[in-house]
Amino acid sequence: MSTGLNDDDRKTFAGIADVLIPAAEGMPAASEIGIQGEILDKVLGFRPDLRENLLRGLRAVKGKAAREAAEFLNKTDGTAFGAISLAASAGYYMDPKVRKLIGYPGQENRPYNADETPEYVRNGMLKVVSDRGPIYKPTPK
Amino acid sequence: MASAGSDRRGESADVLIIGAGASGSLAAKHLSENGFKVVCLDQGPWVDNKEFAGARPEWELMAQKRWHPNPNVRDLENDYPVDTSESDVNPLMYNAVGGSTILWAAHWQRFMPSDFRVKTLDGVADDWPFTYEELEPFYEQAEEEIGVSGLAGDPAFPPGKPLPLPPLPIGKIGMKAAEGMNKLGWHWWPGPNAIPSKSYRGRNACVRRGTCLTGCPEGAKASMDLVYWPASLKNGVKLITGARVKEVLVNDRGLATGAVYIDRQGRERTQKAGIVIVCANGIGTPRLLLLSTSKRFPNGLANSSGLVGKRLMMHPYAAVTGVFEEPLESWLGPAGQTIQSMQFYETDKSRGFVRGAKWQVMPSGGPLGMRAAYGGRPLEEAWGANLHRNTKRVFGHAFEWGIIAEDLPEESNRVVLDPKLTDSDGIPAPKLIYKNSENTKKLIDFHLARAQEAMKAAGAVSMTITPLMRDCGWHLMGTARMGEDPASSVIDQWGKAHDVPNLFIYDGSTFVTSSGFNPTGTICAVALRCVKHLIANRRDQEIAA
Repeated sequence: MSTGLNDDDRKTFAGIADVLIPAAEGMPAASEIGIQGEILDKVLGFRPDLRENLLRGLRAVKGKAAREAAEFLNKTDGTAFGAISLAASAGYYMDPKVRKLIGYPGQENRPYNADETPEYVRNGMLKVVSDRGPIYKPTPK
Repeated sequence: MASAGSDRRGESADVLIIGAGASGSLAAKHLSENGFKVVCLDQGPWVDNKEFAGARPEWELMAQKRWHPNPNVRDLENDYPVDTSESDVNPLMYNAVGGSTILWAAHWQRFMPSDFRVKTLDGVADDWPFTYEELEPFYEQAEEEIGVSGLAGDPAFPPGKPLPLPPLPIGKIGMKAAEGMNKLGWHWWPGPNAIPSKSYRGRNACVRRGTCLTGCPEGAKASMDLVYWPASLKNGVKLITGARVKEVLVNDRGLATGAVYIDRQGRERTQKAGIVIVCANGIGTPRLLLLSTSKRFPNGLANSSGLVGKRLMMHPYAAVTGVFEEPLESWLGPAGQTIQSMQFYETDKSRGFVRGAKWQVMPSGGPLGMRAAYGGRPLEEAWGANLHRNTKRVFGHAFEWGIIAEDLPEESNRVVLDPKLTDSDGIPAPKLIYKNSENTKKLIDFHLARAQEAMKAAGAVSMTITPLMRDCGWHLMGTARMGEDPASSVIDQWGKAHDVPNLFIYDGSTFVTSSGFNPTGTICAVALRCVKHLIANRRDQEIAA
């Protein structure tokens, strides 16, 4: 499905996304990972509900400098700013390179042995709790 | 009980169940294996666990819309809107086969003995018509059927039969929280979850993906579509999805005769039955009863007490999130609770309020969730280089002590029919009128202060306080309460409506008080107690012929 975004929209989006997510602290800027291209299409494919607000915001600030545009939307149109900032940050953190840099493997399958005695039992951490005895009020007679 | 007739082509059933969530699913299974012809109506569809995004990169993005627990945000056709303009809290639920267990975190809690005797012990609210001890065998059976993982011996509860499955891992976040609690000498225990730690009765073992709240892609978590429906369908239960019930019908004798529903083609249909059991949750049930007016019941069905819709309880939820120096892998599941605490659960009147709260540690998800509340704040605070700094500082290094505050029943907190708002079929939507009481506010303040102490003891380097989470109304209770006196209750202790001898209610709307616990375990145990009583007394049960 077409996202309905033209080249100007994508350019405006990239500029605002870089204000929100700049190259800093060893992390790439949003536009460096191509946030305005396929990533944005993917985000809007998952979340078509964002499209209308995102487009309204981008077109309202067309021609403004990126920082000015971001400040303007944050102050005047929270819904549009929300859609743009969510699309930018969601796309950014879905990117495998970004995930690697922040040490996030995604919601992973982590094997464990359910029959193994848990550490908190082996080391006595839980025993001190049981040793203090019951803390509930019984049913009154 | 004689059969009310054939259930072919929707003509009639012995029992009509409205709602295929926790209690409706359990009831359908037990009735069908005891020879009852059962039809169950649910307004939602089946959900295939391949639809859940938990194992895919878009998980957090989808969690904010398609899998959001607030039906007003999700806004699917199978949802109904809820007017929350006069409510402190938004209700959370899911409409599908399995009901809200599709999106629940599967915290499996029993209530404590004191929860059933609040009036006697604390002089407020009411006592339940039965005790913890009377409910205990039904907790045990439900835990076996549903598959609960946990460790025996929690001193916060009376001793009992061990849970059927070993506990899930508590992870680094659970260990860190437990260390803090031990420094203070406060209670903690590995949290019981209705999530199998080993494969169990056709369900897979949990893999700790941590996405329980947006649907379990592994087919592990105890959502009732997986727990009860395979057997119920085998037993011949007819489950009709996409069936939005608009009215429970009654005859001249004041007996329920079935229900009218609208299918997804917009056609109005009638399902007849000898007995009707409503399991539509603490909002859907009173909505339906209030919609079901007739000459005999002009104020809504089973509402001679005037209590249908009143005494809504939704468990205000507060939280303290702590950030730690060391990496804690805090995206790992279950989510699901890792550890819990009942240190401050029982009443201590010197605190200036009655009752208490359960605490729980849960993982904090992925990096996007942290951005959710940043709109409107100065740009440089949340974005720019600070975004990266904050992510590196907090992501994977934080966990939450969540606080479930006991909500006392008040008639002013209620569900009513909205005069204007309707669902997509034109049926009046519910409106919530719900305010936190002074007792609740004092309770939350006290617990937030203690939870900060717990975080500090565990070594948190910074904390964020959430005094009341608006999107927290998972636990919908009290709007068709049970009791012995028809003047002050809607149903009796067996779920039977005082006013309509073949109408039953089995969901959380029947609760007398809310406790401070996640209620699904008790919804299941109470529903099991009720349905077994119905089955045992079938010969004496009056039905609509």
